[in-house]
Amino acid sequence: MSDIQQYLLDYDKNKRGAAATAQQTATRLEKRELKLLDLVQELGEYFNSEDGAVRSKTMAYLAEVLALVPQKVLSLQQRNLLCDFTLSRLEDSEGLGSCAKALTALEERGKWDHERVQKIVETLLHNSHPLRQYKQQSERYPVLRFIDTLMAKYRDALRAMHDDKPDFLSYFIAYFDGEKDPRNLMVVFSILRVPMIEWNIGANAQELFDAVFNYFPITFRPPPDDPYGITAQDLKDRLRDCISSTSDFAPYAFPALLDKLDSTSMNTKRDVLQAITASVAEYGPRTIALYSITLWDALKFEILNVQEEDLAKDALKGLAAIAKTLSKGTTGPLNSYLRPITKECNEHFEDAPTKQSQASARILNTISSISAEVTNIILAGVLPTIFTLFQTAETMAKRRGLLEVVVPLIHADIEVFGDWKSVGTAGPHPAANALVQFKDQALEIMSNGLTNAPPKEVSFRLACLGGLLQLSKARELLSDKEIGNIIQQFHAIVIHEESHGKDEVKDAAINALVEIAHQKPQVVIEKAFPAFMAQLPDTDTDGQTGYLPVLEAFAKLGGEEKVFSTVILRLKNKFSSAVQQNASSAYVVALLSALLYALNQGSEQLEQNPESSSYYQDIVLPIIKRTSSSDDSRPKAFDEESTLDLVGRICNIIIRPLSVEQQNQISVELYTLFSGTPQNELSPIKTDAIEKSKTMVVSTHLLASLRKDAILPCEVNLLISSVVAFSQQPALSLPVRSASLRQISLLLNKFVPASSLKTIMDPLLNSPIDLFNLDKLDPFRIRIIFACLKALLLRNSPSLSTLYPKLLAFLSHPKYGKTVAHGFTTLLQPDDLLTKANHCLINGLHKQKSFALLVPNITTSFREATPETKPNYLIALSGVLKWMPFDIVVEEVGLLVPLLLQSLDLQGEEAVKEAAITTLMSILGERPDAVKEHAGSLISRLLNTSTVDIKKAGEVGKSAEGSGGVAAPPRVRGLALKCLALVPEKLKQEVVLPYRRQVVKRLTGALDDRKREVRFCAVRCRARWLEVDEVGDED
Amino acid sequence: MEIDKDNANPTILNPSDLPSRRREPLAKQRDDGGSGLFDHLVPAYNYLNDPFDGPASSGDSDDGSVEDIDEQEIYDLISSISDPEHPLSLGSLAVVNLPDIFIQPPTSPRSAISTVLVEITPTITHCSLATVIGLGVRVRLEQALPPRFRVDVRIKKGTHSTDDAVNKQLGDKERVAAALENGTLMGVIRKMLSTCE
Repeated sequence: MSDIQQYLLDYDKNKRGAAATAQQTATRLEKRELKLLDLVQELGEYFNSEDGAVRSKTMAYLAEVLALVPQKVLSLQQRNLLCDFTLSRLEDSEGLGSCAKALTALEERGKWDHERVQKIVETLLHNSHPLRQYKQQSERYPVLRFIDTLMAKYRDALRAMHDDKPDFLSYFIAYFDGEKDPRNLMVVFSILRVPMIEWNIGANAQELFDAVFNYFPITFRPPPDDPYGITAQDLKDRLRDCISSTSDFAPYAFPALLDKLDSTSMNTKRDVLQAITASVAEYGPRTIALYSITLWDALKFEILNVQEEDLAKDALKGLAAIAKTLSKGTTGPLNSYLRPITKECNEHFEDAPTKQSQASARILNTISSISAEVTNIILAGVLPTIFTLFQTAETMAKRRGLLEVVVPLIHADIEVFGDWKSVGTAGPHPAANALVQFKDQALEIMSNGLTNAPPKEVSFRLACLGGLLQLSKARELLSDKEIGNIIQQFHAIVIHEESHGKDEVKDAAINALVEIAHQKPQVVIEKAFPAFMAQLPDTDTDGQTGYLPVLEAFAKLGGEEKVFSTVILRLKNKFSSAVQQNASSAYVVALLSALLYALNQGSEQLEQNPESSSYYQDIVLPIIKRTSSSDDSRPKAFDEESTLDLVGRICNIIIRPLSVEQQNQISVELYTLFSGTPQNELSPIKTDAIEKSKTMVVSTHLLASLRKDAILPCEVNLLISSVVAFSQQPALSLPVRSASLRQISLLLNKFVPASSLKTIMDPLLNSPIDLFNLDKLDPFRIRIIFACLKALLLRNSPSLSTLYPKLLAFLSHPKYGKTVAHGFTTLLQPDDLLTKANHCLINGLHKQKSFALLVPNITTSFREATPETKPNYLIALSGVLKWMPFDIVVEEVGLLVPLLLQSLDLQGEEAVKEAAITTLMSILGERPDAVKEHAGSLISRLLNTSTVDIKKAGEVGKSAEGSGGVAAPPRVRGLALKCLALVPEKLKQEVVLPYRRQVVKRLTGALDDRKREVRFCAVRCRARWLEVDEVGDED
Repeated sequence: MEIDKDNANPTILNPSDLPSRRREPLAKQRDDGGSGLFDHLVPAYNYLNDPFDGPASSGDSDDGSVEDIDEQEIYDLISSISDPEHPLSLGSLAVVNLPDIFIQPPTSPRSAISTVLVEITPTITHCSLATVIGLGVRVRLEQALPPRFRVDVRIKKGTHSTDDAVNKQLGDKERVAAALENGTLMGVIRKMLSTCE
């Protein structure tokens, strides 16, 4: 059987076989086993068949073979012959698609000259015009692809056809008429865009425009299985590119688009607005000048009467695009565009504050950031009116409304002209800023407003304050003296004003000072700092207490890097004089807090250039010496561990970026703290030196700040055993014990290299200390175990796989099982000492590892545990899960849900309940299916946790605990309600619907909760549940 | 716009000027006058906390004090309802105002029923949607208040051309119930309430 016979046989039922046959023919052609002439001759019989289907398949065969023949097998002459032959086949109405494929294949095998291209196009159009007569998409698609290829590769040839024959374009456009398939349309849009952009379309403009605009708006919705991979957005984008392609379309495009803007469909309006914006950007200033006012009249409506927020935004973009395009042209059209806008906006301002005055402000604000010219025109157009309206306004609300227009305009002005620190969009040498003419008036109005308006006019004063801030930032607008006056007003508010309401004005004033400090640090230091300092007493022995708000504000200023060092310096001096003059502990603590706050904010700066500052000499050394001294230089406040903690933190933040050499100066004094007392007379080396042990708190922070290779004051193993012994003394205060335990963690984590870890751990795990010995177990040793494990788990030590099981075995301990269980929460809890910044070893995968070693073990042991010890496992589990990122937990969700639900039944373990609910909420959010089968039990447990039986609680009063119904604390009640509110949101309606009635009814109890916060959650939760049966009928 | 709004350009209040509860925890009037800026310098879960000494949650002991439902709370419940005409809240349009909310305690010591009276102020006197707004407020309060409250929503005297008629409608239980059976109307109300937090 010949190849063609085989192909025809396979064509309908065995596509792959047919393709193989074609490949075989192509190979034979390549190997010269088959002559092209013979092939064509062989086909002749089938091309002359009576049956159209046979003719069409034969053409398909030829096209397929040609596409498979390698390059250069066919000579130019052969290709030309084949081309002519294929063109002759076009007269046959069968096999058009295959002809196009054959031509495409031929074109790929050798470039054509102009004449040939023109002949092909002419013949193709002549024989198949209009394309819509071919009903099969698969017939039309290859033709369109072919024409698209020609458009891309032979632009000049096609363009010459248009230039030579006046009626060609019209004929060409009509060829694509009536195309409906989205795949084909994508190609049609791409073909037509070429003449739109490159050809001189003159008389055909409308025809060409209509050819594409007929498809507007695109309402195509891909079928569910989407065989095309084309979205409505793809079509919309291409269509929009066509519409905006040439300014010749303007006379047709704008009226047509504006007409469609009246549509009731939001999608259509959205498309219209985007098409307008795109067209405005492309058509150029001369064309847009003709339509700018028409467009304004239409677009403004979408903003002044907002229907949908995103439509308003698109309309604003359109208006801005017009201004931008016109800015590229001459001044005249820009002026005539902006004039009606400023006029109309001014009219709306007359009855500010209204919806439309706010909208007008939005319009002006959006447009004016376009260019220096536009900003200037708008400022000159509206500010005089606004100032006049302001003077004659009768209400504060109106004045506020007017200011809310001005402030964003100044902001836009800054965007264009820049602030003191950076140039604006108009570049380093912009035109004169029109704001200069209005600055005095603006300053006066806002300054008066801020100072004279009564404190209850919060929003008005906020507007004034915001305006003054913007004015002070505007590049080269105000003099330093004027800015100084503004600063003075702001700090007067911070320092002297009585607290009012939410103190929004005070907060805004502080933040504004920080912002100005960034722009004009020197002015702030000169003007505001003395005022702040004057308010901070050297001592408060006279009972003065008003200093704290001032101190807070001052510490906040430290957040601005330009004034950071000055803030630190002043605070440090204040601290010294306060101690000297015997100020109260409260004041000393407040000053230390402020210092720490400011240092925290500037910590990045300290990290970057640790050597440049003298804080070590100026702050760390003196304060440490005060800590360890026994004379007057040690303030009374230093008797409190919490104060020492502040001191430690201040030192830590300064020391940790220092070099090892510098750190070594302090590491040898880790426990002696420059006191001159020998180390072995002090804790922890001398284990029973309890009376002077409080400084251990400071030592812990110092130890935390040291680099790994800093030299410790004694051998690390000796140090560890001393601290272990020290921390077990019953007489220690809680903070000192905790601090010592942290030292164990720090030492094991940082100062023991992996190679010697085993040796160092040995005395702890075996004799003499023997931590995991069941008989020696007591609360102090449990603490040490967890301190050690914390250090090890962060560095992902291999020893964990043996230590964790030992620890888990303790959960069944009859006496201390519960204590151990509570310890689990410490393992993964974020820690402020064991951090990367403190040079600790933190393995990125430590949470995964601990999860894998702990959680499966806990869930299995739980099943086998006795009823008395079961709660211990739940407590331990919640402690682990509490800090576990959910993407780790997610692996075991199925196993965990039942345990979490049982945790909700535990009595008196509120922290456990809280953690369980939090995890359940994450599961609901990410893996709702895992909860589905437990829905009933989850819902009833959450209801039990969240609702207090008011009557019972009220009658029995405090003895309610005796009746067994102890209410969860408000926070847990609220959380349970939040979780319950998630249930209908995340689970399918058919799952939750059966519970709706019960939940809605029982929640009325929570609506009457004693705590407002809980009631708030209950209201939200109940609203969610009330919606349950209504979800269905929303569409 | 195809929808003819009764009042296309209403006056808007700024959120800062709306009545609000002073942030409660801070309102406990710190003796030192500070804002609590330094309270978070030391993280809550720092090493000074010891988790081993039993559950520490007993610190939550202020559960004892009862916070009663007051006018501000009612205001917070209804001020976030959206206006059916504008994407703005009833609070910022001054349709509901704190001074126009009254909680009347039970009339006799034996009764537990309190009454909440809310008087709403339409943005203009011929507002055709006043009934819908009233209904929305009513539905919201009935959903959000415990059953011991009776809800009474009225149009403030003199702020609407037909306030008596509207009040009659809002006060008539059967008419309210019938209105809530109406799907379209419930749709509008659901949309109004969707902005409530």
